[in-house]
Amino acid sequence: MKLGVVRAYMLKEIKEMLRSKMIVLVYLLPTMIVILFGYGIRLEVTHARTVILDHDQSRLSRDLIGHFRHSKYFDTRVMNITEQQALHRIKQAKTEILIIIPEGFEKRLIQGVGTEIGVFVDGAFPIRGETMANYVEGVIFDAARRLMPPKEAKLITLDNRNLFNQAMRDENAIVPGLIGLILLVAPAILSALLIVKEKEEGTIFNFYSSPIKKSEFLLAKLFPAFVLHSVNIFLLFLWATWLFEVPFRGSFTLYWFASEIYVLISLGVGLLVSIITSTQIVATVLTIIITIIPGFLYSGMLMPISAMSAESVIEAHIYPVMYFNHIVYDTFLVGQGLASPKNQLYLAILLAYAVGLILLGSFLMKKELR
Amino acid sequence: MMRTFLSLVNKEILGFLRAWGLVAVVLYAFTLDIYIAGKGIELQAKNVSVGYVDESGGVVSLKILERLHAPQFKPPVRFLSQKELDRALRNREIMVGLLFDNDFSRDYERSGHARLNVLLDATAAAQSFQALQYLQHILLDFSEIHFPVGLKIHKLFNPNATTSWFMSLAELLSMMTLLGVILTAAVFVREKENGTWDMMLLMPVDPRLIILAKSFSQVLILSLGIVIATGLILFGAFDVPIHGSIWAFFLLSFFYAFTSAGIGLFVAAVSRSMMEVAQLAIFIMMPLIFLSGAWTPIHAMAPWLQKLSLISPLRYYIEGSESIFFRGTAWGDLWPYFAGVIGLGALVYLYGFRRIGRLF
Repeated sequence: MKLGVVRAYMLKEIKEMLRSKMIVLVYLLPTMIVILFGYGIRLEVTHARTVILDHDQSRLSRDLIGHFRHSKYFDTRVMNITEQQALHRIKQAKTEILIIIPEGFEKRLIQGVGTEIGVFVDGAFPIRGETMANYVEGVIFDAARRLMPPKEAKLITLDNRNLFNQAMRDENAIVPGLIGLILLVAPAILSALLIVKEKEEGTIFNFYSSPIKKSEFLLAKLFPAFVLHSVNIFLLFLWATWLFEVPFRGSFTLYWFASEIYVLISLGVGLLVSIITSTQIVATVLTIIITIIPGFLYSGMLMPISAMSAESVIEAHIYPVMYFNHIVYDTFLVGQGLASPKNQLYLAILLAYAVGLILLGSFLMKKELR
Repeated sequence: MMRTFLSLVNKEILGFLRAWGLVAVVLYAFTLDIYIAGKGIELQAKNVSVGYVDESGGVVSLKILERLHAPQFKPPVRFLSQKELDRALRNREIMVGLLFDNDFSRDYERSGHARLNVLLDATAAAQSFQALQYLQHILLDFSEIHFPVGLKIHKLFNPNATTSWFMSLAELLSMMTLLGVILTAAVFVREKENGTWDMMLLMPVDPRLIILAKSFSQVLILSLGIVIATGLILFGAFDVPIHGSIWAFFLLSFFYAFTSAGIGLFVAAVSRSMMEVAQLAIFIMMPLIFLSGAWTPIHAMAPWLQKLSLISPLRYYIEGSESIFFRGTAWGDLWPYFAGVIGLGALVYLYGFRRIGRLF
């Protein structure tokens, strides 16, 4: 390997990247994705727009309304309209929850006769609808339990401790997973483009016909991409901890090291894509398709691996995202570090992926026109 | 003039059909991609993995555990000590840990009150929260107390909370946006790339007619795509219900196709190659898609984002389509959505039209 040749080639790559605005893509895309997804995905529900129709107007019904008023989960309005009008408001997407307290609510309760509260929830967003229904149930049963004599209220109460993410913030749950998504997509696109661009423009013949070796060529192509995206590892860390205030409890060294290996894996994926494609647009689309789906669906970001069905678990084990995300979530939220045998194993698997993909890519690449 | 227009439209459609790669991408986007999103993205907690440590030695704990079953829970796994359970939680193999301590069954038998300790892996915040609510339900059921207050909860529009209905529609709307921009930009930029741009300049046809015909041809392709996707994937594969009028949805989509074509015109005006089109399209459309309520209802977002989304035509398209499909909103109540899509769409289209017009 001639280092002089490699250095010259690398210099050319870096100059080209600076001139072609590719550098903007390298740094803008990751930051954009983390900000968009971090702000744009909200699974927790607060301030649900609630309308209460109080047909009873008694002390108890007002007491119940007070419970809703004091909860941050609801923005409660007591309205004096008919049930039809209220349902119409849900259809117009002006209201999400409608609670109807029937006439004689207090009287029947005091007499010990059963009474029924009607609740309508907008279920167009399924997980939101489900959560809202559960909130309403929780508030009403809580209020009811307080009214009952303690002897009758035989109940097993739950004492829950939310590990790793006490306040159950969405940001803590999603942003670390985004790092695994971005560091899989972005370096792969870059490395695929760097090689396919030469194919499309015909300058690849310089490589075919010059005495430069395949290993030198690959080193010159992949090394700048590797260094540029290594900066993103820090940048993403900064967004996560500073902008989204995700706690970081583990070892930074582990996060850094695992991420560098992961960037290598991504570069390897891009290398493989560049072998089978010949135009930049196809290379970009193909890379996005094969990286985004595992990065989203089989990464454990939106759905934990342990809660997947059996076949999805097997699929998840095929892609490298799952192993990386396990380590990232560990360093951010759990904090076991390398003391955990599972993290050690996953790190080794990542290393094997990186070496395997890059070796495979360089083996399949041909230094001749086919 | 009509004949010129029609033959121009015809030319573009033929050009599209001959670029088989593009046809494949569009077909993929309108069918398989939507199918994968609807099938794969599941946000509801199902198959939650439960582990427990039982030191109570009673039957109560077993009776409770019996009630944790599919589809919400996987069969609970027994751990011998809290330490082992802890390790499984830390390795994220178990999402919910139950600790029945020494006093649990004694307390329950004596007074009816008992405390059950729950450890939740909250790294998956939404699912662990749901799992907690499932547990609460089960215990309430188990305790068999007779509340004097009954609750009748109606989940309107989607009673079983089927995620695929929602996800497939959201993905279709996103795809519609992305393809509208890329396809329209592509018909102009391909001419630039192939060097046939000069021929367009030399044609004895009003440039405005050319622009109109070119963008209209892509609107037609998009409209066809949306009909295919709705019929094949939404209705065919997922049985998405439609409570409103399907024609309202198609009409709204038709107008929206013009809006995204307008963005495409702007993109085409400023880029020289397909690569630049793809990059620009991603940078313009991703924020638009994510901040317009495809994944999260608008009012669940940060207040400054809510204000910003008012100027996004996609916001009205998404809200309108969801209202038509799920809420069954009547024609008369749909006017804000139509007004938003048409009004903002006209502005966007005119702007794009003028930008590309300058190149002639």
